[in-house]
Amino acid sequence: MSTTANQLPIADRAEVNRTVGRLFRHHRGQLAAVAVLHTVAAVAGLVGPFLLGRVIDEVTGGTTLDRVDRLALVVLGAVVAQAVVTRYAQRLSMVFGERVFAELREEFMRTATRLPLSTVEKAGTGDLVARTTNDVNKLQHAVRFGVPRVLVCVVTIGLTTVASFLADPLVALGLLLGVPLIVVATRWYLKRATPGYLRESAAYATLNGTITEAVEGARTTDALHLGARVRRRIDADLREAFAAERYTLGLRLRLIPSLDSAVSIAPIAVVLWGAWLVSQDVTTVGTVATIAMYAHQMGGPVFDLVFWLDELQVAAVALARVVGVGLVGPDRVAGTAVPASEEVRAHQVRYAYREGHDVLHGIDLDLAPGERLAVVGPSGAGKSTLGRMLAGIHPPTGGSVMVGGVPLVELPLEDLRRHVALVTQEHHVFVGSLAENLRLADTVADDDRLWEALGAVDARDWAAALPDGLATEVGSGGHALSPAQAQQVALARLVLLDPHTLVLDEATSLLDPRAARHLERSLNAVLTGRTVVAIAHRLHTAHDADRVAVVDGGRISEIGPHDELVAAGGEYARLWRSWQHE
Amino acid sequence: MWLIVRPLPVPDVGTPPLSSSARLLWWQAGRQRGVLGASVAVGMIAMLAEAAAPLLLGRAIDEGLAQGFGTDLLVWCGLMALAAAVIVGSGVFAHTWDVENWMRASFAFSQLVGYKATRAGQAVTRKLPTGEVVTAVANDALRVGDMYSVAGRFAGAVLAYVAGAAVVLTEHLPLGLVIVVGIPVVAGVLGLLVKPLTSRQNAHREATGRLTALGADTVSGLRILRGIGGEDVFSGRYARQSQEVRRQGVRVAGLQSVLDGLQVLLPGLLAAAVLWLGARAVVHGEITGGQLVTFYGYAAFLSWPVMIATQMTHTTIRAVVSARKILDVLRVDEATPQPARPVDAPPAGAELVDEASGLVLRPGRVVGLVSADPDAAARVAVRLGRLDDAVEADTPVRLGGVLLADLDKEALRHRVVVAEATPHLFSGVLGEELDSRGRATEAELMAAVLTADARDVLDSVPGGLAGELPEKGRSLSGGQRQRVALARALLTEPEILVLVEPTSAVDAHTEARIAERVAEARRGRTTLVVTASPLVLDHLDEVLLLDDGRVTTAGTHAELLARTGDDGARYRAVVGRSMAEDGPPATDVSTDDMEGAVR
Repeated sequence: MSTTANQLPIADRAEVNRTVGRLFRHHRGQLAAVAVLHTVAAVAGLVGPFLLGRVIDEVTGGTTLDRVDRLALVVLGAVVAQAVVTRYAQRLSMVFGERVFAELREEFMRTATRLPLSTVEKAGTGDLVARTTNDVNKLQHAVRFGVPRVLVCVVTIGLTTVASFLADPLVALGLLLGVPLIVVATRWYLKRATPGYLRESAAYATLNGTITEAVEGARTTDALHLGARVRRRIDADLREAFAAERYTLGLRLRLIPSLDSAVSIAPIAVVLWGAWLVSQDVTTVGTVATIAMYAHQMGGPVFDLVFWLDELQVAAVALARVVGVGLVGPDRVAGTAVPASEEVRAHQVRYAYREGHDVLHGIDLDLAPGERLAVVGPSGAGKSTLGRMLAGIHPPTGGSVMVGGVPLVELPLEDLRRHVALVTQEHHVFVGSLAENLRLADTVADDDRLWEALGAVDARDWAAALPDGLATEVGSGGHALSPAQAQQVALARLVLLDPHTLVLDEATSLLDPRAARHLERSLNAVLTGRTVVAIAHRLHTAHDADRVAVVDGGRISEIGPHDELVAAGGEYARLWRSWQHE
Repeated sequence: MWLIVRPLPVPDVGTPPLSSSARLLWWQAGRQRGVLGASVAVGMIAMLAEAAAPLLLGRAIDEGLAQGFGTDLLVWCGLMALAAAVIVGSGVFAHTWDVENWMRASFAFSQLVGYKATRAGQAVTRKLPTGEVVTAVANDALRVGDMYSVAGRFAGAVLAYVAGAAVVLTEHLPLGLVIVVGIPVVAGVLGLLVKPLTSRQNAHREATGRLTALGADTVSGLRILRGIGGEDVFSGRYARQSQEVRRQGVRVAGLQSVLDGLQVLLPGLLAAAVLWLGARAVVHGEITGGQLVTFYGYAAFLSWPVMIATQMTHTTIRAVVSARKILDVLRVDEATPQPARPVDAPPAGAELVDEASGLVLRPGRVVGLVSADPDAAARVAVRLGRLDDAVEADTPVRLGGVLLADLDKEALRHRVVVAEATPHLFSGVLGEELDSRGRATEAELMAAVLTADARDVLDSVPGGLAGELPEKGRSLSGGQRQRVALARALLTEPEILVLVEPTSAVDAHTEARIAERVAEARRGRTTLVVTASPLVLDHLDEVLLLDDGRVTTAGTHAELLARTGDDGARYRAVVGRSMAEDGPPATDVSTDDMEGAVR
């Protein structure tokens, strides 16, 4: 069984932009409202420094207390206005962020749970779990805080610049001195930042993986005295994290002084340039003070903006992975034909994971309803692949697998499940009640039906002993089920689903051998009355089956009842005898 | 960076105090006091330079600008430029050391938690869910680090506040008082809102955590959902929780935005008051226009130190909470701790005795343990390695007369190795994972691989021995994993090796090869194999039959099969299932028990 890591796709830049564009268009009303509110707030925030300049000019020109009081009232009004508008702007943008983000993740989950069966089987779930957790969480920060923040910064910087030029375009020219430095440093930084931060998060992900392994394998670590080795690995992961941190630190150590210099130069430039302009009688001291103050105020938003641009870049990478899940095309087109019988037939089935490398070379197989077929053969012979074909997981590259005359892969998924089910070594208990775990297979089953299914797989006793019976919360964080119990739950699901044909791919081989033995009886109950294809590593299975198929090199080399094959004296007979020797 | 004082991680993590989170945090502060001190010093310099800016700007306007474009102006502007240079220069150091402080603390706590997991054995999973231990590293260790990284800035903030206050109070006492008293009042009022906000944020965070868990759970079981059904139920469930998160987020937004508004309003009111009172003072001729700029500047600037102080408070609170979670992990008692005073180890070749079952492993013998109840046999075998004191308290096992719990643990682990039926495979380079003692030659590695009949694994893992094995050996089949684990166990080359059902997941052909090769490889060295497989048992020096928790019968496989009487019948009942047809005559013992037709 070779599992090639078939990664899920990652969206390209254009696809990501399309998604962002679609999201923004979809909410353009709210987005506009957010922008307007933030603009108003920023304008109100500019009143203070402006009036400061006026006050300075007027008092040096000689003014009354009355006039000062009135100016102060204006400032007061501006402050109150800014505060009130800020409150609503912030609220609206946060609510907006929550909404967009909720939409994004829900759509992601809808897409993920509809991934084609063959993709799920091939790619495994690790990558998908990472996208569901890490990437979605990375996006969360950017969408909830980043987008509104960037908006505020851009508006503030823009308006402050505009206000400076309105106050006195000539003096305001001094502001621009720092701009080239900011632009150059920021561009230099942003180009390198994303890979740097991605390396950082990869380093921490590796560390978390190591810790997870250390905890999950704690008993083995102790038993084999592997502690020192795991500790060395933790240290190595931290060393990599350190190197990654040091790299990004180096980037920031170039960015920050550049921004700092640019931001501190601006007020000095304004004062010097302004002083010369004042001496030329082109402007007033108050105006220069106003613009110097504006220059001073711009520092914060500039830093903020660069910081968030950086975060948004990282978020864009996460978004590309989230959006990528939606790029997987369907692996089948459902037709409308209805199977005429429960007979499963494979005709000239070929399959290649990679083009030109056939794993199966034209397999013909007719299953009589109710028969048990054991599939044996050396590892890598294509047994599991054949099993997946017979269960309709992958559309074959050539030939067909039909049930009652209809190709399996032309059945709607909901119907396919009622015909054939694949049981593998994997078992998973979902977070939720035991009943919820069972009702996956039959959403309308009542409690009696669930108990019946549990009874059929010999699980009634322990289920009844659970603190809340069927309502007991199981899965991660809930009541822990043993691997054998989990597998029984899986089997009970099959009872509820009730397909006429089952494909068992070493269904118990990952279990503790003791648990596996306990399970066999439960399994037997499920098999009764169904057509069974059992991919086996134990020869009893073959011995007890109605027919045995020996798969070798992607072909069925022998097929027939056990006794006949033994009598025929082929490969199977040789295997059987070597086992029987004892 | 040349500025970084010390490369991480540090080789010695030290022994932290576990009495309280405050003690723990203080202990770590002591361990990084050098860089913490540097950070505080440079933080003070940076903040002082920042604090000088409003004063200098005011003077520049008064004595420079107002006097025209002259020397005074150039002097003041020069001073401003100097302050700017100090800010820029010290900023570089400050940031570097802040980051280093963060890393020192975060990495140290990650190490402590991780190391604990490597030492606690079984106890860690029994006491805490895996997720919590991982979170202690992934989240809590990083949170704790935040506190140390803000410390330098905080110290600077305190100093800057004092300096700024001194300037405004000396320049104009009443106006200065408004600023110096007003700012903390503003911060205090804002602080009142933080608590309800934090509780809402926590609710939001918890809902988010549940959502993430739900998402991870759903996609982890996606094969089942796609194979059996229930996708809509699960994406619906996720959507419901997602909406719950959104609702919580909106609740946060409601309060957070009020806080944001107040953050504008209160300092703004203060600035307006300063502007108003200051302007009146200018009209009265008490201060100059430039001084007004200075006051206005300080009214804005001094809220910054206060903000940093607030941030320090928050990070400290969070750090304490996280430190508690870290302590939860660090306080886990090891499943098999090193004894306080280890007893001298018995010489090599000592007998290993399980008192409860009467099992005696004599040196140099390769022995099988068979039981009608395989669980019972596995329990006996596993306790021979002292893997869990809590479970094994009532079943003492002695090596050469010494209780296992009294032996030096390192020595015990090297002398006795128990390989359980479903051991954990770790990710890493296959060759290194196999050679857990790190001392095997390539030839020895290959020999062990051959003994465990795991040659096919070398083809399955791209790169063979030098290739990467994924987490839990995920790319391998169940049988391959079992054989990798067997090879790994063999390579530990212990004096006493205990193998629990080493061939349960492999086919008969392979089992026969493994049985022969393992017996050959361990010939003359003490070995116990728990199995019911005749293929394996036939190669062993001796087989023990465990009945009702006691070893009742011993003999070779062939002897026991042929033995008449009750013992022989029981033995045949356990191992004879596959031989029913042409083996010894069937017995009256029911053979359908647990050994169903389908395996």
